[in-house]
Amino acid sequence: MPMSPPRFARWLLTRALPSGPRAETMMGDLIEEMSARAAASSPSAARRWYRRTALLLAIRYFAEPPSPTPVPDSERASPMDSLLSDLRYGLRSLLRARGFVTTAVVTLALGIGSATAVFSVVDAVLLRPLPFADPNRIMWMTEVGDAGEPMSVAWPDFLDWQSRATSFTSLSAVQPTRFNFTSEGEPERLLGRRVTASFFSVLGVRPAAGRMFTEAEDRPGAPRVVLISDDFWRRRFNADPEILGRKITLDGLPREIIGVLAPGFRYSPLQNDAVVVPLGATATEDSGLLDRGNHNGLSVIGRLKPGVDEAAGRQELDTISSALRASYPNTNSNIHSHVVPIADRLVNGVAPTLRVLFAAVACLLLLAAVNVASLLVARTVSRQHELSVRAALGCGRWRLVRQLMVEGFILAVAGGAAGSLVCAGLIRILQIAAPPNVPRLDEVRMDAGVWLFAMAASLIAALVLSAFPGLQSSGIRGQEALVRAGRGDHTTVAGQRIRRALMVVEVALAIVLLTGAGLTMRTMRALTKVDPGFDATNVLTMRFEMTGDRPLMPVYADMLTRVEALPGVKRAALTLSLPIEGSQWNSVFIVDGQPVPPRPQLPSAAFCPVTTEYFATMSIPVRAGRAFDQSDTKSSRQTAVVSAAFARRFWPAESAIGKRFKQGWPEDKSPWYEIVGVVGDVKLEGVDVETPMQAYLPMAQEPSNSVALVVRTATPSAALVKQVPAAVHAVAPSVPLYGVQTLDELMGSSLARQRVTMLILAGFAALALVLASVGLSGVVAQGVSARTREIGVRLALGAERRQVVGLFVRQGLITSVAGVAIGGLAALSLARLVAAQGLLFGVTANDPATFWTAVATLIGVSALACYIPARRAARINPTVALRGE
Amino acid sequence: MPATAASLGEFEQLVILAILQLGPDAYGVGISRKLETEIRRTVSRGAMYTTLDRLENKGLVRWRLAPGGDERARLPRRIYSLTPKGLAAIRAAQEALQKMTRGLDHVFKTPA
Repeated sequence: MPMSPPRFARWLLTRALPSGPRAETMMGDLIEEMSARAAASSPSAARRWYRRTALLLAIRYFAEPPSPTPVPDSERASPMDSLLSDLRYGLRSLLRARGFVTTAVVTLALGIGSATAVFSVVDAVLLRPLPFADPNRIMWMTEVGDAGEPMSVAWPDFLDWQSRATSFTSLSAVQPTRFNFTSEGEPERLLGRRVTASFFSVLGVRPAAGRMFTEAEDRPGAPRVVLISDDFWRRRFNADPEILGRKITLDGLPREIIGVLAPGFRYSPLQNDAVVVPLGATATEDSGLLDRGNHNGLSVIGRLKPGVDEAAGRQELDTISSALRASYPNTNSNIHSHVVPIADRLVNGVAPTLRVLFAAVACLLLLAAVNVASLLVARTVSRQHELSVRAALGCGRWRLVRQLMVEGFILAVAGGAAGSLVCAGLIRILQIAAPPNVPRLDEVRMDAGVWLFAMAASLIAALVLSAFPGLQSSGIRGQEALVRAGRGDHTTVAGQRIRRALMVVEVALAIVLLTGAGLTMRTMRALTKVDPGFDATNVLTMRFEMTGDRPLMPVYADMLTRVEALPGVKRAALTLSLPIEGSQWNSVFIVDGQPVPPRPQLPSAAFCPVTTEYFATMSIPVRAGRAFDQSDTKSSRQTAVVSAAFARRFWPAESAIGKRFKQGWPEDKSPWYEIVGVVGDVKLEGVDVETPMQAYLPMAQEPSNSVALVVRTATPSAALVKQVPAAVHAVAPSVPLYGVQTLDELMGSSLARQRVTMLILAGFAALALVLASVGLSGVVAQGVSARTREIGVRLALGAERRQVVGLFVRQGLITSVAGVAIGGLAALSLARLVAAQGLLFGVTANDPATFWTAVATLIGVSALACYIPARRAARINPTVALRGE
Repeated sequence: MPATAASLGEFEQLVILAILQLGPDAYGVGISRKLETEIRRTVSRGAMYTTLDRLENKGLVRWRLAPGGDERARLPRRIYSLTPKGLAAIRAAQEALQKMTRGLDHVFKTPA
């Protein structure tokens, strides 16, 4: 009895050797020799010999097909020529199948295009380095409370950090600020930053013209200086070459321009700073900066010394903070330092969303490639006759496979090229439709890195695409195939099996995308259904800041009178803080008649001066007592209106009317406020954020020079967007207005990021559904045509047409269900990852309704996709089918 | 194109000679075994089979199928034999060798 040869080696030989008696005799020779060797030495040595010999033979015969006629050396084609002829042949072959090529290229273009577009955003936002010298060495530092709640840095703490820290070459404090710019024509509200003198050396940048300010200029009383951005210089000063030394008026005070920043320099991608001024100069006695208990929006940046790593820097600051906690228990007992690399801080909020989008895009790219691979497999099956003829005419197996691979490669290149166009278009759409606070979005473009990614994606698609037909066709035998073509032989069956396997993968990917889309849609719905506590329809808002010494209340009263006189205006009011935008003034406070907790546990609330008509304008319900009215004046007793949460917290069992509280630290000499009213809670910090306690004060008693004007109109407020500012300017002509929008727009833009994510995922899911159902339909259709004779037999033997259709639908659904089972598990784990990134609201990761809806949708669509081609089976005429024998 | 003696490579000659030596046993296993025994070096099966194919293409050998026994799972064997053209070619090759080695006995004499 001969030994049976190792299975894989034998399979390799059957694939590689030319068909016919040659192959059989060679296989026999090897078996005979292997048995002889087994007898002579050992069976394992014999098997090793067999494997080695089989491998060498397979390589030799695969690479060098035998030609029936000898080709003299001089005429043998060079490798280059044969590749070119493969290319020509492939192009001609593809051009003849225009429908197939269009489908394949469009599918690939969508997959590669969207993948590249998302990558280019990820590249610009996350991967590209910041415009500072060696940005990995720059740390960003703030202070946090015991529970990790973020606060800014207190100025005295910063000074202590600066004097005590040795891990950093320098530290600089940074504070965002805004100015009224009034000296050159049209007044404008500028965004800017107050920084200490070492700011530019920490970042490692220099101004493009002029100089940075010195330590001497960073002190109170020093001459006022300013650096301006390149963009501001070009826009407002026409790139005046004599700009240095010129004076501009900011907030009513003149400043000398000493430098122009480099073009493209930006400290924060979220804010285009027009001006940079010294921070230390504002640290005067009455500024509140010198109080260690005040955290005024400062953050700190520092450059690590060479050789010092991030952990060491963090550790040192931790030690200093803990020393401060001990030295200043009154103010610092719950203050800790928080140190992260500057790059992390700036993009933190957006990174989770981008990661999820990237994962979704990878799914879609894979789905597109699998879909096209399935199409290619079908095409190879349908070209069987052509391929068999060529094999019979002596075209070696390797040559055939190579030509199929070249075709797959051509498709991938075409798909990649079309994909680049799709990508460019998608980038444009993203930039237009994107929410305002995605950092660096305007820096997204198709640069070298993005092109590289597009090529890599095309290459991967090409590899996937050429593998399948290659595997298929290496089993084609020339003469036998010609004889057997049309009998629905094993090549078709093998092709069907491959296609079904690919379909399972496609369905799995589709389920993942559908579940993701469903979860984000429910998140969006939950977010839009949140009651914000006020009525946002038909309310126009804008902000401005008064400068100078004019008494504010008469000016405000005049403004409100004029605005309310406009036709179409129902009511108007002024407030310090707008809901959703967030509180401009938070403070601790003490409640009269209740024990004073230790400093770290003092309650804090959002304090907000408002004019009398505010609650009526915003439709915030008054739940107890009254709103502010004419009796709350500068000379009457101090009153306040609190939110329901405030009242509930301190007087749960009784009315809060008449109770008193005091703003600030226990030892502060601030007045007691008497509560005259309780109003409904308002989502001050955002729709999805826990609402804080709110304390409203009468603007007459607590005037604020930074205000937002809210105007309720009878008709859609956008119509009054010119008249209202005109009324304001009639009273205060040089005050720039900014943030002009309706409250609806404000709420909409706060949810913009979630909305865009949802739209993108929904688009992907829809595309995945279409691709999967078209693919499934194609597989079933191919199965029907391959089994035409079998169907004819069944029908002739008395089967009902309904049963035949059911057979195919069932088969297709089994594929679908298998894909759903596999994909379902993947979908659940990915959903958990999404939830862990904090991207869901009002829905859990394993929400059964979402998941089962996705499953039902997919199964339903699959059933339809299977039914339509299966109906063809029902229309088969048995006699015609059987005659085809 | 008629093959002349000049177009027979060294390995091709050895294979042809092996076929002549083996007579009715001139099939794949036999040829490789003969070569390895006589010339004392490993013969690549791939090289042997492609050489046999090449000789066939040149019209110097032909083969017929013979049934195989159990030791080769009943797969057939190819029994090779020389065509007249092949015989002429190997003769010419031998003549050429003899002519060129005339007078060089002292070089090719095996030492005692």
